[in-house]
Amino acid sequence: MHVTADPSGSDLSPSGPTERARVLSGKPVELSLPVEDDLLVLVRFTVSAVASRAGFDIEEIEDLRLAVDELCLLVLQGRRTGRLLLTMSADPGQIDVWCHYDGTEDPHQDDASEDGDDGGLSARILDALVDEHGSAPRDGRPGSHLCKRRDRSAG
Amino acid sequence: MDQEFEVAEGRRDGVPVVSVLGEVDVATAPALREALDAAVDGGSDPLVVDLSAVTFIDSTGLGVLIGARKRCIDAGRELRVVVSEPRILKVFEITGLNDLFTIHPALEPALRS
Repeated sequence: MHVTADPSGSDLSPSGPTERARVLSGKPVELSLPVEDDLLVLVRFTVSAVASRAGFDIEEIEDLRLAVDELCLLVLQGRRTGRLLLTMSADPGQIDVWCHYDGTEDPHQDDASEDGDDGGLSARILDALVDEHGSAPRDGRPGSHLCKRRDRSAG
Repeated sequence: MDQEFEVAEGRRDGVPVVSVLGEVDVATAPALREALDAAVDGGSDPLVVDLSAVTFIDSTGLGVLIGARKRCIDAGRELRVVVSEPRILKVFEITGLNDLFTIHPALEPALRS
């Protein structure tokens, strides 16, 4: 697993959601993960940490864990080899996640599709949990993007 | 991180119950499918799937449940799902699957239903 965050090595131990968000502003976290069984566990863990630092509350973090998981599933489309590339960028009150597949395997129906889901559930979940999501290929790699903004009324 | 995934089959008050613990995602969904396939093939009683100890479920897990429901219908069996964790119930609600499945808030009502 390859992870890069803030290359300057600055102290990331501020207090309060606003201060944490300021620290993260403009400093994306990048993940490069092999497509393996534990892939999405690591992705969910990382987005939880990034969202927490950006000041999202517990419920919003739970929404993001599921949303980013579904984003990855939509990009992977049943592939079991290659790598998944994620970039998470958090500004105060907003988090953007890009996910791309890097490999040579074609997408195919996996067991989930055989159970009757063709990606429709993923799209429905993303529609409900984030503010924006959609296809975002880059450099010839299939990919998707989501954006979630903090619910400012939640305080 | 959340606890390890486990799936167990048993009976409570004579009713077959598949109990799930932990996170249901693309890595663990095959094990859940295998357990549900065995349970569906193993009898004709109503089958209860207890998700009260599930801490995360995504579309792959939901897909397995949808498949199990189809097999139960084909086998003439009733499938009942127990969901007590609000964030798990939320996933069923936003996907509309709370209308598809018979969902109980606890195991005891599901056994008696």
